[in-house]
Amino acid sequence: MSPVPPPGRPQAPGFRMVRLLGTVSLVCGILIVGTNLATSNRIRQNQEIIMRNSVAELLPGIRKQIVYGVEASGELKILPGIEAEGKRLIAGYDAGGKFLGVVIEASERGYADVISAMYAYSPEKREIVGFKVIDMRETPGLGDKVRGDPEFAKNFQGLDTRHPITVVKHGTKKSASEIDAISGATISSRAVGRMLEKSVEDMTPVVLKNLDRIERGN
Amino acid sequence: MSEVSCHTPPTITADSNPFRNGLWRQNPVFVMVLGMCPTLAITNSVRNAVSMGLATTFVMVCSYGLISMIRRLIPKQVRIATYIAVLATAVTVVDYLVKAISIPIYVALGAYIPLIVSNCLTLERAEAYAGKQPVIKSMLDGLGMGFGFTIALTMLGAVREVLGAGTFLGVHLFGANFEPWVLFLLPPGGFISLAMWLLFFAWWKERGAKRELAKAA
Repeated sequence: MSPVPPPGRPQAPGFRMVRLLGTVSLVCGILIVGTNLATSNRIRQNQEIIMRNSVAELLPGIRKQIVYGVEASGELKILPGIEAEGKRLIAGYDAGGKFLGVVIEASERGYADVISAMYAYSPEKREIVGFKVIDMRETPGLGDKVRGDPEFAKNFQGLDTRHPITVVKHGTKKSASEIDAISGATISSRAVGRMLEKSVEDMTPVVLKNLDRIERGN
Repeated sequence: MSEVSCHTPPTITADSNPFRNGLWRQNPVFVMVLGMCPTLAITNSVRNAVSMGLATTFVMVCSYGLISMIRRLIPKQVRIATYIAVLATAVTVVDYLVKAISIPIYVALGAYIPLIVSNCLTLERAEAYAGKQPVIKSMLDGLGMGFGFTIALTMLGAVREVLGAGTFLGVHLFGANFEPWVLFLLPPGGFISLAMWLLFFAWWKERGAKRELAKAA
C-alpha cells in the first residue's frame, strides 16, 4: 500500500499498538457477539420457516406434520419440532388426517460445495414425488440449475426407487429410475443422483418398516 | 483469488465531491481496477451483481464511518490490521442481520457476503480515504465507491447474463431457439466482458481527449 507514512502520526510505542488493537478487537468482539445474540432467535425462526415452506412445497395439501427422529437401531421417535438435530423424517398429513408422504433430507458434495436438499417420498408408490435444493454453492448459470430448472425438476415427479437411481446424459432418459442430467452441469446432476440413491437406500427401509405407525401418526 | 492482495492504484486526479468521485472519476472497477475477485466471480447475472454491489456499499459506508472516527487513535504500524478487524466485523454483522431480516435476500446473497471482507476495494479506500478524512466525507466516499462498484458490476452482469443465458434479470429475451453462449457465464467470460468494457472506456476517454485537443487547436 502507500509507502509514505501518513503525516501527523508519530511512531507509536509498542504498548500503544497493543492497547489499540486490544481495544479494537474487544469492541469488534462485543459487536459481533451482541449481533449474534440479538439475531439468533430470528435466524432460527427463519430457518424453521424455510424448512416449513419447503415441506409444504414438497407435499402439496399438507396440513399437519410429525417429525420423527431416526435412531441408530432404525426405530422412530417423535421429536418436538423441526429444529431438532440428527437424522429425521417428516411425515405429512392432509386436512382429513390422511397420510401424504414423508419428506427426507439429503446432502452430497457437488461441484463447489455440499448440496443439501429435501425430497418427498411416497411409500405407496415407492417413488420420489418431489425434490427441492435447500442450500448449495454451485456455479451460477450452470450447476445452480439443480435448483429451479423446470426440466430438471420433472425428473422428480415420480422417480422410481425400486431400481437404483442413475443419472444419464441430457436427453437420454429412458426409465423412471433415471435422472436426465442438466447439460453443462453433469457434476451437479450426478451429485443429486448420488445423494438420492444413498438416502433412499438408507431411509426408505426405515419408512417401510414403520409405515403402519407413520400412517396412523403416532 | 480471494486474498487481500492490493496493488497501488494508478494516480488519477480525484473529484472534489467524494460521492461523485467513486461513481465516475475513480470508478473502482473501470478506472482503478480494484476488487477484481467479486467483479469476476459473481457477475454472471444482473441480480447477483446488484446484490453484491449493495451489500459491499453497506459494509463500506458503515466501516468507513467507524474507521474515520478512530483515525487519529490508530498508530500507523497497525492501521491495516485495524481496518481489517473493523471491516470483518461489519461484514459479520451484515451477515447476521440479513439472515435475521429477510429470507429472500439471504437466499440470493448468503454466499457472497463473507466475500466482501476479502474485497481489495474495501481495504484500499480505508487506507486511501477513510483513514485520513472526516467521518461524513468518508461515509460519502464509501457510498460513492459502493454505487460506482454496483454500477460496474451490473454492467458486467448484464453483458454476461444476456449473452450467456439469453435472459435479463431472469426474463427470457430471445426465443426458444436461442442457444446461450455458456462461455460468458464461466470465468473466461468474466475476463472477456471486463476487457470489453475497459476497452470501451479507454476508447471513449481517448476520443474525449482528441476532441479537447481539436477544440484547443
